[in-house]
Amino acid sequence: MKCRKDKYAVKIAILAVLSTVLLLLTGCWSYRDLTEINMVTALGVDRLEDGKVLVTVQVVEPAAIQSTASGKGKGGVTQQKPVFVESYEGETVFDALTSMLSIVDKKLFLGTAQVLILGEGLSKNGINEVMDFFQRNHEMEYDTVDVLVAKDVTPKDLLKIETDMDPIPAMYIKKTAENTVSRAKVKRTMMIDLIKEMGNSGRQAVIGQVAKEGEKEVRTEGAAVFRDGKLAGWLDPYATRGYLFATGEVKSTIVNIPADSGKISMEVIRSKGKVNVVFRNGEPALLTIQVVLEANVGEYEGERKLDSPDDLHRLEETLGEEVKKEIRMTVNLAQKDYSSDIFGFGTQVHKYHPQYWKKVKDGWNDTFSKLPVDIKVDARVTRTGFIKGQIKKDG
Amino acid sequence: MEKARISSIQLFLLIIGFLYGSTVIINPALSAKNDAWLAILLGGVGGALLIGVYASIALLNPSKTLVEILMDRFGKLIGNAVSILYIWYFIHIASLVFRNFGEFITTMTFPETPMAVVIGIFAVLLVYGINSGIEVMGRTSELFVPFIPVTALIISLSLITTRDFTAFLPMLENGMALVLNAAFSFITFPFGETIAFLMLFPHLNKKENLKKVAALSVLFIVVLCLFIFIRNISVLGSDLMYRAIFTPHLTSLLIPGLNVEPLIDINLLIGGGTKISVCIYAAAKALSQVLGISDYRKLTTAITTFCVVLSIWVYENVLEMFSWAEKVWPYYSIPFQMVIPLILLFLSLKKRAEPSKSRE
Repeated sequence: MKCRKDKYAVKIAILAVLSTVLLLLTGCWSYRDLTEINMVTALGVDRLEDGKVLVTVQVVEPAAIQSTASGKGKGGVTQQKPVFVESYEGETVFDALTSMLSIVDKKLFLGTAQVLILGEGLSKNGINEVMDFFQRNHEMEYDTVDVLVAKDVTPKDLLKIETDMDPIPAMYIKKTAENTVSRAKVKRTMMIDLIKEMGNSGRQAVIGQVAKEGEKEVRTEGAAVFRDGKLAGWLDPYATRGYLFATGEVKSTIVNIPADSGKISMEVIRSKGKVNVVFRNGEPALLTIQVVLEANVGEYEGERKLDSPDDLHRLEETLGEEVKKEIRMTVNLAQKDYSSDIFGFGTQVHKYHPQYWKKVKDGWNDTFSKLPVDIKVDARVTRTGFIKGQIKKDG
Repeated sequence: MEKARISSIQLFLLIIGFLYGSTVIINPALSAKNDAWLAILLGGVGGALLIGVYASIALLNPSKTLVEILMDRFGKLIGNAVSILYIWYFIHIASLVFRNFGEFITTMTFPETPMAVVIGIFAVLLVYGINSGIEVMGRTSELFVPFIPVTALIISLSLITTRDFTAFLPMLENGMALVLNAAFSFITFPFGETIAFLMLFPHLNKKENLKKVAALSVLFIVVLCLFIFIRNISVLGSDLMYRAIFTPHLTSLLIPGLNVEPLIDINLLIGGGTKISVCIYAAAKALSQVLGISDYRKLTTAITTFCVVLSIWVYENVLEMFSWAEKVWPYYSIPFQMVIPLILLFLSLKKRAEPSKSRE
């Protein structure tokens, strides 16, 4: 009887020890509370003249955002800013980020980063070197970070902007890049796309451009063209759109075309682009860009009525010509000025003509620059909106 | 001989878990870059042949484990010596899988946790599982292994929008030699390692199903690996896929607005757990038979402890682990996976032919 009781006691003891162990094993080893980290919303990286890296972070203060949202704090108390911006120099990005802790209180957490802004100086020197850190680090979320190149302004100055539109400036910048879906005038590059394309010699990187517009706003328009990881030049908003048409990245945009008496804004609602390389006798003979798009009449500043199908066919033609012009402009820039295959013709060659690719791989950008490009745009205009023509006074 | 029995479906799932094991993080076929799909197919054919050999050995020597077969065919002295080599080999596989697992967790999920802690806690759990017996291992696999294809499917479906289905072009860019090399690596790791199952086959309740089960599980794994490869390359592109350390994990990171990387960790826990359990069970069972100990359970804790220590000591760094898996392992494995089993098969066939003659 006694023996049985002992066994029972031993079982209870084991159970107790096991539950204690269970309690000790709850959290993660390197678990950090939200209040113990600094949440980085935006990163800026620039290269200084002496080869060092200047890293700027924008850190959000969750408590301050809450009070901003619930009506400008209590009377008399000075309003805490929702974000702070700090910069630090270092030999590498990681070095700068860690050394920055000498002026920043809590450890910087990169998993919340939304925007990465690359400086012009850095871009001219080459971005591949600093991108290494962002790939290697386990905190980065490749697919949520928007990458932009700052033009005529340092990333530091850009991140210091305090806008009224969003308590977190980084989110404001990100959203201006995001809304390219309705205007197609800035190239939106997510970090993962950049990482994927970096090792690809058949397609050069294009990254959206951001500039400062006044004291409180930014302007995300245009794009930066790279060649082998180095900034080669810029595309203006229209050339950027030409690029996006050719690569099929246009979701929606407004294309203005001249009309009989006035002008028409065509709203592109669907667009597909495809690039190809035509080979003759084992050599590339012609590069082709094919765009198929669908548009509506969005606005007509003129007097004629649009009432016959022929009117729309004429619009289709003009629209096609207009888009073609934009693409042609981009192609000329890429071939003559920057000598950089941003359209990915090289990838096509690599995939379908691997033997030839092996020969030209290293000098592909020069080969690309010399090839003729054929552009075909097939535009379709389907609807005219709620009305057929302009308001006219009777008589 | 314990009377434990496992059903065909349990064995099927155990083999799948075993084969999938650490292949989820180190797939040697990937060294063929764009042409890994070809390497997977070729490796799958070779792997099926190899497992066919093992199954034939088991069928020719019914109800006998690898150690008993070795003793019968090679005689006591050589049989014992070869058995001990096999015990070492099983222990080695188990430690390598432990290490893969620890390396993955410390790289991806808990970078500041010492690897010994990660591996140690996992090992405690596995010892418990192995000591519960082969039947429990079978039932556990029944419960968990189906998660593997399901998670693979979930991740693939979530990424269906971000794909480039021509990413595997151009074909054979780096030549056939690389593909053959990768295919050979893929045969030895994971298919050849199923030699450990020769310690388990006697427990199968319906012997006539053995070959069917083996063939089906190989087919299943080849299809699964192909599926995962196509997903990874179409999402990441060949360049990034080759650069990434743990490819499936990186793929799962890219699902927009959703963090499913724990699913990959779970896959690894299930697959790796199955593989380690089978290997340690095989080692403990074999050692107990060589030494004449009635119950293998007395040895599991010791062997597992040894595996944990070995796993931490065996590689200096993560890149050594990868280059070992791709470059050294295949050749190191040849005698264990091919030479000795083929001799065994030959001797078993001869043996079967002899008694029928003598009876006449």
